[in-house]
Amino acid sequence: MRGIFGLSAQLRARVEAQREPLYRLAHSWCRDAGLADDLVQEALLRALDRAAQLDDPQRLKSWLCAILANCLKDHFRRVRPLEPLDEDMPAQGETPEAASASSQLAARVRAEVERLPLGQRQVVALVDLEGFSYAEVGQILEVPIGTVMSRLCRAREALRARLIDFAAEQNDKVRSIR
Amino acid sequence: MNQKPEVSQEMRNAFVDGQLDAADWTAMVERVGADEALRRQVCELRTLKDMTRSAYAGLHPRRAAPPANRWGWARVAGMALVFVLAGWLAHDALERPRAVADLRGVAADRILVHVASSRGEVVDSALQEVEDYLRDARAAGRKVEVEIVANNTGMDILRADTSAYAKRLERLRAVYPNLTYIACNQTADRLRENGTAVRLLPGVHVAPTALDEIVKRMQQGWVYIRA
Repeated sequence: MRGIFGLSAQLRARVEAQREPLYRLAHSWCRDAGLADDLVQEALLRALDRAAQLDDPQRLKSWLCAILANCLKDHFRRVRPLEPLDEDMPAQGETPEAASASSQLAARVRAEVERLPLGQRQVVALVDLEGFSYAEVGQILEVPIGTVMSRLCRAREALRARLIDFAAEQNDKVRSIR
Repeated sequence: MNQKPEVSQEMRNAFVDGQLDAADWTAMVERVGADEALRRQVCELRTLKDMTRSAYAGLHPRRAAPPANRWGWARVAGMALVFVLAGWLAHDALERPRAVADLRGVAADRILVHVASSRGEVVDSALQEVEDYLRDARAAGRKVEVEIVANNTGMDILRADTSAYAKRLERLRAVYPNLTYIACNQTADRLRENGTAVRLLPGVHVAPTALDEIVKRMQQGWVYIRA
């Protein structure tokens, strides 16, 4: 097992930096804190198992995200029929009403993201939370770039319709408090 | 008719996400500057993007750093993971984790076998290889240690209510005291959250997570084998 400790601080820092982003992605995709923990653990264990497949260390982040996406796919395959990836019917998340009771914009936004179909919230999370390019998202999720763009359009349109007014209200409240 | 066609939603998104090439980006900047409605739409998209990013910024893994001891075990395990993963990713002096079928050829004296599936062929193969390895080591007078770490559906083999291998595991443990069973507490917590009462077989130890246990052992020089 030589070699484990003799690594550049830069690479260590890059790997360490991935644990929390992976958790945020997993949380936004599966909508369950405990399951997100499990998925991240499984993804990192698979990464250990398959490290030789990563030819380019620069691709570490997108490689881990792709493994995470496959872990989620496998989970849904195991526990229930695969959630529709990209249908108009909203997914079963926390209702916006319940979230808005907390009067917190973050909770409301998460509730609305959770209502998106799985394929749309995967794309939104990868683009908005982690800043991946459309091409990278296509590689991670194994879908054409056109699909990435169309899912993103539908997701953003749905979020815009549900959140823009709410965001404006929140801003007005903040202004009135000041 | 000199009116330009409306900018598509895909184009607006690509602009906000920085996905346009230089020529398209320049053209969009000009359009946005001249079209108030388009400017408002782009602003809304930017706002949505910022709101989404901010909404998830405060989320952290529940088990990565317990508040009671932020710099304690979880921190150590986290750092260990960094070292180990980084080690694997550096491709230097490290091999892929061995398949369980290779177990008898392993010269190391401390071996961790990770069972993440309850599939019969996986578990049968893992237990058979472990037993063969322990028997050979004893016959050769080698002092060895073996840990079987289970998580995910692999946990089923260590649960009193679900294990189809309880007697076999008990017999193995009786014959080979240098064999230890470790259950993943994270998997157990998930089962409990879903309303399942988790009872482990006698003598099964618990680790905070399978990942933490694997990383800890790899740092101590154990060989990791995924069943």
